[in-house]
Amino acid sequence: MAAKKSTLKVILLGDGGVGKSSLMNRYVTNKFDAHLFHTIGVEFLNKELTVDGYKVTLQIWDTAGQERFRSLRTPFYRGSDCCLLTFSVDDSQSFLNLSNWKKEFIYYADIKEPEKFPFVVLGNKVDVAERQVSSEEAREWCQENGDYPYYETSAKDATNVAVAFEEAVHRVLAMDDKTDYLISTDTVRLHRKPRSATTCCS
Amino acid sequence: MVHVYNCHPFTSQQIVQVEQEPGLVCCGGGALIVVATGGCKVEAYSLEEEGCPLICRFATMGAVRKIQHSKIGDYLVTIEEKNSAIYLRAYTNWRCQAEEKARIGVRLLGHLLRGASAWGGVQTEIIEIPLSDHPVAVACCSVTGDLLVGCENTLVLFTLKRQNEENLNPNQQNPLSFWSSAQQSCSPVAGQTSSSCQKDSFLDFERSVILHLSKMTPKQVALCGGFVAVQAELEVLVLKLEVTSEPTMQESSDAHPSGDYLEDQSDFLLIPRHQELLGNRAEDCDVVVGVENTGLEDGRRYTRTYVLFRRFSPEFFQGCSVEEMQLHSLQLYPLFTSNQSPLLDEPACVFCFFSLPNAGYLYSLRGGVELLSTYQYPEKVQEAVLTDHLLHVITKSALQSFTVRCAAVAARIEDPYIDTTIKACPPSSLETCALRMQLFIGLRSICVYGRHVVLFSAADSEAPEETERHTQRRGLTRRWIITSPKETRTAGHGWNLYVVDMVSPLTLYQEMAEYSQNYAENNPQSQSLRHLLSEAHLLVRTALLQTSKRHQDSTGDPDEKMATLTEKQELEEVFRQNCSQLGDSFSRGSPKDCHLALPYYRMSGLSVTDVMSRNRPLPGSPHSYGPGFLFYLKHYLFEETDETLSTETADEVIDIFSQSEPSLLVTVCASPCMKNVNPARTLQILQCLEDTAGVSVSLTITMATMMLHLGNLPQYTELMERHAEMLLVYGFIEEPRLLLHDGGGGGKKEQVCTTALARQLANSQPGLLVAAMVALHENSKVQLEQADFIFKELSCDNSLQVDFWEAMLMASSQDAVIQELLFRLASVYIDRLTNTISNTTSKQKSLKSAEDLISSCSHFGALHPWLTVLNPAQMSSSQHQEALHKLQALLCGPSLSVGTVVPLLERLSEETTWGFSLHLLCATRREQYDWSIEKLLDRCPQAIIAYANHHLQDKHMALWWTKLLPELCDRTRAAADGSILLSVLNGRRCVFFIQAHLKGHYGSLTAKTCIEIINVFFIHSPAVPWSCRTSPGIFTVIACFSVKSQKKRDARVEQAASSRSGIARSICYP
Repeated sequence: MAAKKSTLKVILLGDGGVGKSSLMNRYVTNKFDAHLFHTIGVEFLNKELTVDGYKVTLQIWDTAGQERFRSLRTPFYRGSDCCLLTFSVDDSQSFLNLSNWKKEFIYYADIKEPEKFPFVVLGNKVDVAERQVSSEEAREWCQENGDYPYYETSAKDATNVAVAFEEAVHRVLAMDDKTDYLISTDTVRLHRKPRSATTCCS
Repeated sequence: MVHVYNCHPFTSQQIVQVEQEPGLVCCGGGALIVVATGGCKVEAYSLEEEGCPLICRFATMGAVRKIQHSKIGDYLVTIEEKNSAIYLRAYTNWRCQAEEKARIGVRLLGHLLRGASAWGGVQTEIIEIPLSDHPVAVACCSVTGDLLVGCENTLVLFTLKRQNEENLNPNQQNPLSFWSSAQQSCSPVAGQTSSSCQKDSFLDFERSVILHLSKMTPKQVALCGGFVAVQAELEVLVLKLEVTSEPTMQESSDAHPSGDYLEDQSDFLLIPRHQELLGNRAEDCDVVVGVENTGLEDGRRYTRTYVLFRRFSPEFFQGCSVEEMQLHSLQLYPLFTSNQSPLLDEPACVFCFFSLPNAGYLYSLRGGVELLSTYQYPEKVQEAVLTDHLLHVITKSALQSFTVRCAAVAARIEDPYIDTTIKACPPSSLETCALRMQLFIGLRSICVYGRHVVLFSAADSEAPEETERHTQRRGLTRRWIITSPKETRTAGHGWNLYVVDMVSPLTLYQEMAEYSQNYAENNPQSQSLRHLLSEAHLLVRTALLQTSKRHQDSTGDPDEKMATLTEKQELEEVFRQNCSQLGDSFSRGSPKDCHLALPYYRMSGLSVTDVMSRNRPLPGSPHSYGPGFLFYLKHYLFEETDETLSTETADEVIDIFSQSEPSLLVTVCASPCMKNVNPARTLQILQCLEDTAGVSVSLTITMATMMLHLGNLPQYTELMERHAEMLLVYGFIEEPRLLLHDGGGGGKKEQVCTTALARQLANSQPGLLVAAMVALHENSKVQLEQADFIFKELSCDNSLQVDFWEAMLMASSQDAVIQELLFRLASVYIDRLTNTISNTTSKQKSLKSAEDLISSCSHFGALHPWLTVLNPAQMSSSQHQEALHKLQALLCGPSLSVGTVVPLLERLSEETTWGFSLHLLCATRREQYDWSIEKLLDRCPQAIIAYANHHLQDKHMALWWTKLLPELCDRTRAAADGSILLSVLNGRRCVFFIQAHLKGHYGSLTAKTCIEIINVFFIHSPAVPWSCRTSPGIFTVIACFSVKSQKKRDARVEQAASSRSGIARSICYP
């Protein structure tokens, strides 16, 4: 079975505490733990799924949002197929920082054509009552920055999580269709018959 | 020609239940690691459990192009590709991915946060290792866990660092040792599948050194205990990296004289010539290697030396297209000897293997680089793996297993007695062979873990009938059990992953032994038999090496220890069995290698009786005893003393030699093992020998010995009298063991014991015995201590021993021995002189009298004439007299060092004149003349002139004038009755001396002495007749010369002289 690019690297970026790890956990293991540790450095999880008939391995990269872990996370931006810019709707500063995250990503991932790169924006923690960032503000920012898809999610009650990740996959595959490269499959060789049993007799 | 034995080293196969077609396969740490095609998914299966269950599964970050497992640290290292970029990554704690849902940590090389990873429990971590070049090949050191990466023009060495939770900073107690870092940072986890996840330490690497290669593009690399190997398409280079603490000196290698090779090559730049450069000579290859130290530790620097370079020229081969002619399967392989600890020591042996499609090459790198074996493959080989026991290679359609010679090298390093008469081992150059060629279809790759050979085959799905036929063939194979119930899977897809298990070395050995039995029955002389036995020998040796290593490794678990012990015992048993068979083979074989029968029989533990029964010719067979057997028997009889043969066996030995080598019968009879031989029977055989070969002295002595055993003394005596004593001595030199045997048991060479003949001689012909022992000593057949021991044993007192020492003094020319003997004899003589109580009648008379010794031995001097004055005419016993004379003669001789005997002499009182004479001799030897003169004048003045005449010569002559004459005069004047002294002074010899020597010594004479002499003469002896005629002249001369000497007249002298003689004045002042 010939496959499209079989592993897709999707990276979650955003301020510390916006819920990147929780989103990843909710999506992959369908669990939520309110007392997760801070992520240190970089971690990833794989999730296999079929999208548009393609069987792909989604490799979700979770990063440490805190500034002090910057040097540990930035080396691994390279090679990402999609970037999920995440903020918390109850934290306006995390929303304001999205541009910085985008800049950092583009710089360290060494993206040649940033305008074509698939970003998806996630506003997490919609389950929280006191919002500081409105949907409209967020959509407006997405619109202005390159028409990025925007999802309001809640890792706690699983709102929109799967949809958001699947959208990321769609975006990547759509990109791939343009570049259209396939992994070359090994050609199966025909074998000659084994030599008559002169060398090995039983 | 390649031997093919068709043994059955494989016992069963399993098919691993892999869902996706494997792209890459490797194994290690008890696991089979499979990378699915496409390269992004890794699955690990347990090789140590039935059915190879899945251990874990995880996705990689990119498509894996190369993968390796490291035994030390249990990490996986990959070269991955993602979006056309190449990455190098190490996966640690990968076994934690059992559920595939755990998060995987990722960090950069060196970016290890303190305790970070422990927060969420043990977690799989990926260490991203950035490189400036594209990595091409990776290799892990099985000893240290270090990582070597081959890039396009460089090799980068990463040393493994293990950082513990409580000790995160790398501790470098001993930064100088390459091995200390290995110990602390790594421990083998071989086979530990369960506990690996529990380790609370984190791995990291340090980029330690970069080697820059010129003119070489690595395709494969290998790393083992400081050895670095790199393989290009047709070249292999092996280097040794060493850590030094000092700053690297300017590489002197740049200055090495470039050999002919380079110059030769310059003519053939386009087509590289075939080259093989071993050891230092490899520096002459045209690949320049630059060392760039990148380690962070100060002072820890790497230097490199060339070890091996091999280059093949493409046109060198036949049967393969030039494109196919590429090296592959580079491997460095360590072997530890059984007395080594893999945790502490460098491996005793390191081997390098690499392969072309048609031939494989195995080199030994330690202790002199050498090509051990060249494997000529019968068909094109795709991949090869070297293991302890065998070299496995795959062709498109078969797995072939060749024997290896690593154990032969290791054995020699471990045991220096190999290749002596004590131990043997087949040579490392022994031709290798193929033990098995097992058919498979479409083999693609091979890897080996322990006894598990993993094969990946991808057959053509369009030729199913071929698969079927092949399966049937396998089913027919003896001992070939297919355990996989899922045979149908084979038809499902065109590929399979087999785990083929090897039989235990013991089982394989048994089969080879069975096999050899056939050969032995049909053609015991065949080379094939010996070759097969040698192969079996090396197989068991390898297994023994492994078990002792396992025994060391297995800490704690008593069951495991027990099992290892049992296995070891079994192996040792078959080892002895094999050695006895090899012994048989060599004992009957050609004279060329027949000497090997001896060590193999020795190692077999067989008794000589067993060996003889194995070598008995069949009745009616024309074969006589083989040369190897005779060689063994000779050595046994000449050297071995532990085992005394029974009468029957000893008689058989006599028969064997009388039939095969009668000339050796004397030596054989003299062997201590032959104590129990039947003397009458042997005597007959010896008689026959004498009749045919003629009379010889040693033969006669041997016959006499037999007579002695029979108790026939008259006949014995008659035989011994057939030859003169001197000739008999020659006979003993020829065969010393007629007299003495090495003491048995603990192999103490000093211990010797005497034969019955020697005991007989001590009684009947002690002179002969002493002469013989002296001759043996002088011919280095016996040491002084041994001879002493023998004589002590032979006589209750030490008389024979003293005789021996005296005789030795006469014969020996070794200075150290002489001094030792002189001292011993002096002390013996002193003992005898002091020991008045001992019963003198029991003592045997000495063989040599004092006169004999004085006349025949230079170390005994003639007794000084004055001694006759001192020596009593008769002493208490003749023994005393003898001892005194001998001791005096020694003191009169030139050799005895007086200083050493002075303390002994103190035991002798000076009261007796003979005692006094000895002290005087000593004092004289020490030139204490003043003391001697005084003492002698005190004790025995009549001897003084004789003494003075003898000793006060030459440079001591002045003493006459300065000491002797004044002393004489003083004493004569003072003595109440000076008549004795005066007679001395007036003695003819004294006067003669004065007349003869005055002229030369007037300077020594003081005026006072002159006057004294003159006065003494005329006061005490005015009437002595000679004084009227002679004295005036003398005094005149005295006076005259004395005055002359002082350049002035001395009135007193003049007066003294003139008052005594009127003539004096006229002569004095002519």
